Amino acid sequence: MKRPSPRAVRWMLIAAILVVWEALPRLGLVAELLLPPLSKTLVALVNAWPEYMSALFVTLYEVILAMLIACGAGILVGALVGGITLLRNVFLPVFSSLYAVPIVILYPVFTAWFGIGSESKVAFAGAYGFFPVMLSTAAGIRTIDEQLLLAARSMGATVPQQITRVIIPASIPTVLTGLRLGGALTIIGVVVAEMLTSAAGIGYLVTSYRTILDSPHVFAGVLMILILSVLFDTAARAIERRTLVWQTAGRRERASSKEDKATLAMPAPA
Amino acid sequence: MSRIGIIAVRFALLAAVLAAWELLPRLGIVNAMLLPPLSDVVPMLGDILARPKVHEAIGVSAAEFAVAFVIAVPLGTAIGVLSAENEYFGEIFKPMLFYVFSVPKSIFLPMFILVFGIGFQQKVAYAAFSTIFVVIMSASAAVESVKAEHLLVARSYGATRRQVLTRVYIPSMTPVLLEALRISMIFNFTGVMIAEMYASRTGIGQMISSWGENFQMPQLFAGVILLATVAIIFNETIRWFETRCSAWRT
Repeated sequence: MKRPSPRAVRWMLIAAILVVWEALPRLGLVAELLLPPLSKTLVALVNAWPEYMSALFVTLYEVILAMLIACGAGILVGALVGGITLLRNVFLPVFSSLYAVPIVILYPVFTAWFGIGSESKVAFAGAYGFFPVMLSTAAGIRTIDEQLLLAARSMGATVPQQITRVIIPASIPTVLTGLRLGGALTIIGVVVAEMLTSAAGIGYLVTSYRTILDSPHVFAGVLMILILSVLFDTAARAIERRTLVWQTAGRRERASSKEDKATLAMPAPA
Repeated sequence: MSRIGIIAVRFALLAAVLAAWELLPRLGIVNAMLLPPLSDVVPMLGDILARPKVHEAIGVSAAEFAVAFVIAVPLGTAIGVLSAENEYFGEIFKPMLFYVFSVPKSIFLPMFILVFGIGFQQKVAYAAFSTIFVVIMSASAAVESVKAEHLLVARSYGATRRQVLTRVYIPSMTPVLLEALRISMIFNFTGVMIAEMYASRTGIGQMISSWGENFQMPQLFAGVILLATVAIIFNETIRWFETRCSAWRT
C-alpha cells in the first residue's frame, strides 16, 4: 500500500486536532475548564467579536510600530556593522554574547520608563525584534561575493552605485530572512508585554479572562494570536520565495562562515 | 587591527557606557528615579545577594530551570533524531515545526496555569514546552550534519554499527549538539523567567517583576545585571567548549 503524501497527513493531523479539541471535553474526558470545546470557543469569539476586534487593533498597531523600529534600526546598524570591518570586529561577538540575555527581564524597566500603555510595548517589542534583523543584515552584507564588487569597481562604479546596484540587491534575500524572524519576534514581544503588564490588546484580554477562569474566551484569544502569527509567517515566506532567484545569484557559495548561518538560524525565544 | 587593539576598543566602549550610566543621572540629565546611577546599583547588587529571600528565589528558579532542562533536552533530542533518520516522519513534521517557531509560546501560559496552577510544576512544564521545539530542530540539524561520505567510507572499511556510531556520528554531531544545548539553555532560561514574571509567588523572575511594579529601580537594575551576567557566563562557557570541539569536524 502506498503511504499517503506527507501533505495529506499534515492536514489530517490538523483535522484530528480540531476533532479531538471538540470531542475530549464533550465526552467529559477533559474538564471544560481546562479545554473548552472548539465550538464553544468559536461562539465565545463571535459573541465578543467587537471586544476582540478592538483588542486586535491595539495589538496590530503596536506590532506595526515595533516592526518599523526593529527593521529600521536593525537594517541601519546591521549595514554599518556588516560593512565596516572595524565595527564588525568590535561589535559582532559582543552582540552574540548579549543574545544569551533574556530580554524579557528588561520589560519591568520599560514599563517604569514608558508606562503601561502602548509605548512600553512598542519599545520592548522593537528591542526584541532588533537583534535578528541586525544580525542577518550584517551577515547578508558580509557574504556578498567579492567578485561582484570587484567587477563593479573595475567598470568604474561609484560608491553610491556600488551600494544601490550591488550591495543592496545581493543582500536582500538574507535581510528578508531577518525581517521574517524579526517580525515574528516583534509579535511575540508585543504579546508577552501585553500579557505581563497592560490594559489593552489581545494578550491583556487573554490574561484578564484567565484570572476570571473564563476558558472559552481565553482560548478564543489564543486562537487569534495563533492565526495572526501563522498568517504573518506565511506572507513573509511567500515574499522570500519570490526573491529566491536572487539568492543564488549574488552569494558566495560555501564561503559564509558557520557563525553567519548560526545567526541566520537564530530562533526566537518565548 | 590587532586582537589586543579590538579588545581595548571594547573595554573603552564598556567603560564609556558605564561612565554614562553613572554621570547622566548624577548630572541630572536623566531622571535618577528612572535610571539610578551605577554607584547606587552596584552596592544594591551586594545587598540583594545577601538577602535570604533572594537566595531562596534563586534556588527555586535554578531548580525549575534544571528540571525543565532535564525533561526538554533528552526528549527533544530523541524526537529530532527520529525525524531526521525517518524521512517520512520528518516530511510530515518539519513544516509544522517551522510554524510552531513563529508562534509566541507565551500565549499558552494561561493554559499551563489552568492545568498546573502557578507553582513549580507549571514553571517546569512551560519552560520545557518553550524549549523542546528548538531542541528538536537542532537535533535533526545535527544528524543531517553527518556527512554521507564519512558514513560510506566507514562502512566500506567494515566498521560495525557501534563503530559508526562512536567514530562518525558522535564526533560529527557533538559541536552541533553543543550549540543546540546552548540555545536550548537560553530558551529555557527565558521560559522560566516569563513564567515567573507572569504569575508566581516566588522565583527571581517574580522578584524582578515586583521590583518593577513597586518602582524600586536600584533593586530592579541590580537584578537585571545579576541575571544578565549569569546568562552570559553560561553562554560563553558552552561556546568555549563548542570551539574546542569543532576542531574535530575538519
